Amino acid sequence: METIALVGNPNSGKTTLFNALTGANQKTGNYAGVTVSRVSGTLRTPHGNKYELLDLPGCYSLSPNSPDERITRDVLLGDQEGAERPSAVVCVVDASNLERHLYLVTQIVDLGLPIVVALNKVDLAEKQGIRVNVDLLSEELGLPVVPCQANKGKGVVDLKHAIRQPFPHIPNRTWQGDKATEKAIVDLTSELETTGLEQPQAHAIHLLADVAYRTEEQPGIDRGVRQTAMDAADVAIRSGTAPDENISQSRTRRVQEICKMAARRQDTQGLTTSDKIDQILLHPVLGWVFFATSMMVVFWTIFSLAEYPMGWVEAGIDFVKNTVVGGMPEGDVKDLVSDGIIDGVGSVVIFLPQILLLLFFIGLMETTGYMSRAAFLMDNLMSKVGLSGKAFLPLLSSYACAIPGIMATRTMDSAKQRLLTIMIAPWMSCTARLPVYALLIGMLLAGYGAMVQALVLAGLYVLGTSTALLAAWLLAPRVKGSEEQTHFMMELPSYTVPDFKFIFRHLIERAWSFLAKAGTIILGISIILWALKTYPKPEEGTPAASDAGLALEQSYMGQIGHAIEPVVKPLGYDWRTGTALVAAFAAREVFNTSLAISYSVDEEEFEDEDSFLDQLRAKMNAATWEDGTPIYTPLTTMSLLVFFVYALQCLPTTAVVRRETGSWKWALGQLGAMSAFAWLAAFLVFQVGSLFV
Amino acid sequence: MIADAANDHHATPATTLSQASAGCQLRISQLEGKACKRLRELGFCEEMEICKLSDGRNMICSVCGTRMALSRKLGDQVMVEMV
Repeated sequence: METIALVGNPNSGKTTLFNALTGANQKTGNYAGVTVSRVSGTLRTPHGNKYELLDLPGCYSLSPNSPDERITRDVLLGDQEGAERPSAVVCVVDASNLERHLYLVTQIVDLGLPIVVALNKVDLAEKQGIRVNVDLLSEELGLPVVPCQANKGKGVVDLKHAIRQPFPHIPNRTWQGDKATEKAIVDLTSELETTGLEQPQAHAIHLLADVAYRTEEQPGIDRGVRQTAMDAADVAIRSGTAPDENISQSRTRRVQEICKMAARRQDTQGLTTSDKIDQILLHPVLGWVFFATSMMVVFWTIFSLAEYPMGWVEAGIDFVKNTVVGGMPEGDVKDLVSDGIIDGVGSVVIFLPQILLLLFFIGLMETTGYMSRAAFLMDNLMSKVGLSGKAFLPLLSSYACAIPGIMATRTMDSAKQRLLTIMIAPWMSCTARLPVYALLIGMLLAGYGAMVQALVLAGLYVLGTSTALLAAWLLAPRVKGSEEQTHFMMELPSYTVPDFKFIFRHLIERAWSFLAKAGTIILGISIILWALKTYPKPEEGTPAASDAGLALEQSYMGQIGHAIEPVVKPLGYDWRTGTALVAAFAAREVFNTSLAISYSVDEEEFEDEDSFLDQLRAKMNAATWEDGTPIYTPLTTMSLLVFFVYALQCLPTTAVVRRETGSWKWALGQLGAMSAFAWLAAFLVFQVGSLFV
Repeated sequence: MIADAANDHHATPATTLSQASAGCQLRISQLEGKACKRLRELGFCEEMEICKLSDGRNMICSVCGTRMALSRKLGDQVMVEMV
């Protein structure tokens, strides 16, 4: 199957068009860097042809400044190992931003591939008083231009018609460099022909246009080719022309000429609606007030509004439990289904509404265009710890889950800042921590209202974030890497009405993925934990046979727990909490599951209207040390909360860090350092707190 | 002295984007510095009319109807003149 690449500037609507062309549900967002790796889908044209459509990360040019832009360049030049060069390109251009987006088109034209331009957002351009002469634009570029409005599906069929085989002719180069540059292109092309390099002219132009491409090690280009290119560039430079500068200026000039001919922009001196909104939301004082207030509303909603759907989920779990277990005879099987499976999985599933609410608000920020404004506001603060505002987007994504957050660092241009951001990203409290926070905060502040609980929850987020920033500040001078000069540069897209269709589709995906995790990993661990808690069974006639607590202590879980206890006791935890912490190393949510399983052995019965969570909290509150003092004092709970703010406890994150940094050293170092830090912080909270309480 | 300063001002009507006041309609006269290639790629190119919307550590400019935020150090590399 032939491959067609979809490329374009960030915010040009590539992913929306990809979804419209393939029927896929790829994630879109109104800020740069949503697509951070190549994604593919199947495109069927009205003529019955079938292609693989590649959605490549957005880029402003083919001279990459970040790893995700490099992916786009390497795929298009055929330099990416293990990937065939695409047969054709669909280049998405924002009609309301023609002057800026055509620069990339001029670069792609030089690659020697058939191209179709998808002129997207024509409705927006019309609203802004921009008239684009599509025929003239097509003529000047020498390739088909199809006007479309991807978010409404308009023009998509025309675009599919334009992609049909045979593909359009390969367009000719649209710009002309000066004499020295043109000579360098011709000389280098003929030199490269002799080396057998595919697409010698495309490579020749790119080698001359991008200093880094010819001077730095590239996976697809051997040293000899680079040396030839450097020699050709040197010849041009000696005759007074830096080929990269000349090519860049020539392309820009050509774009301006084309725009003058094919697009007419009405003079709009006044401020747009987005400009007026930005005057408030990016105001040095009002902007922060809005940011802080909206964050507070998010946390308050998570604690107050989420109660209702959580009640429904709980009722559903109870119903399932009564239905399934009701008619079962007493015995291990009933225990396994009731305590191991339903309580274990239920103790995590109940938090689904809170997780979805947090993701809903992040989705709102993404689709309205506020996300990049938040990054703009945060740049000032982040620069003080040696990070750019660009690190904010990956860090904010990490509040949902550290894995996409770490992957989003591919949009960052500085390798050093990227590494720093990856190192601190897991300290942004991800949604997997929410179940633990909710359980413990509810226990700590049982008599307080949703507002106080929301404030404490917000405090935990602030604690994680501020420690992360402090760590970045401390690590920055120690992380090796060139002190390359990076500049804050970011597109602030127009504000748009939230795309609820996208948000809800994304929420359904996340809910499904969460339930799938609950149904696999968490179910598996629940069953293992139940088995560890149940076996070996006490012998008949022994004291343990009639004392569930004693039986638990003698079980495998009890034995493991007692082995762990010396490590966790200084933090204020008993062996059951210690076992839960160890189980939670694979995934944090398992902490609740483990506690639910451990504490279900108590003989207390809750036949009243108490909810499942209240029962678990009550059982935890009732747990005592051997001397009768309670295990879960407010101090222990605070120590646990602090431990969960800081501990990494997510093996998939460690695997992703290994992949993104290319080194086990960083991944395991991060795991070890964060675990040690979490232990130390929890130790200090408990021990220092004990001096005063 | 005031006259000299006025003459100097007339002799160099171009200023940097960082120095220009917020709210001004400007035309880019030249790009000077290490990041000028990147700036061109982002749409800041010679002859382009831009509007500086806000000032500060990072400034916001309207370029072809899109708001771009950029640091003062980048703004220093964009020479502009009043329209």
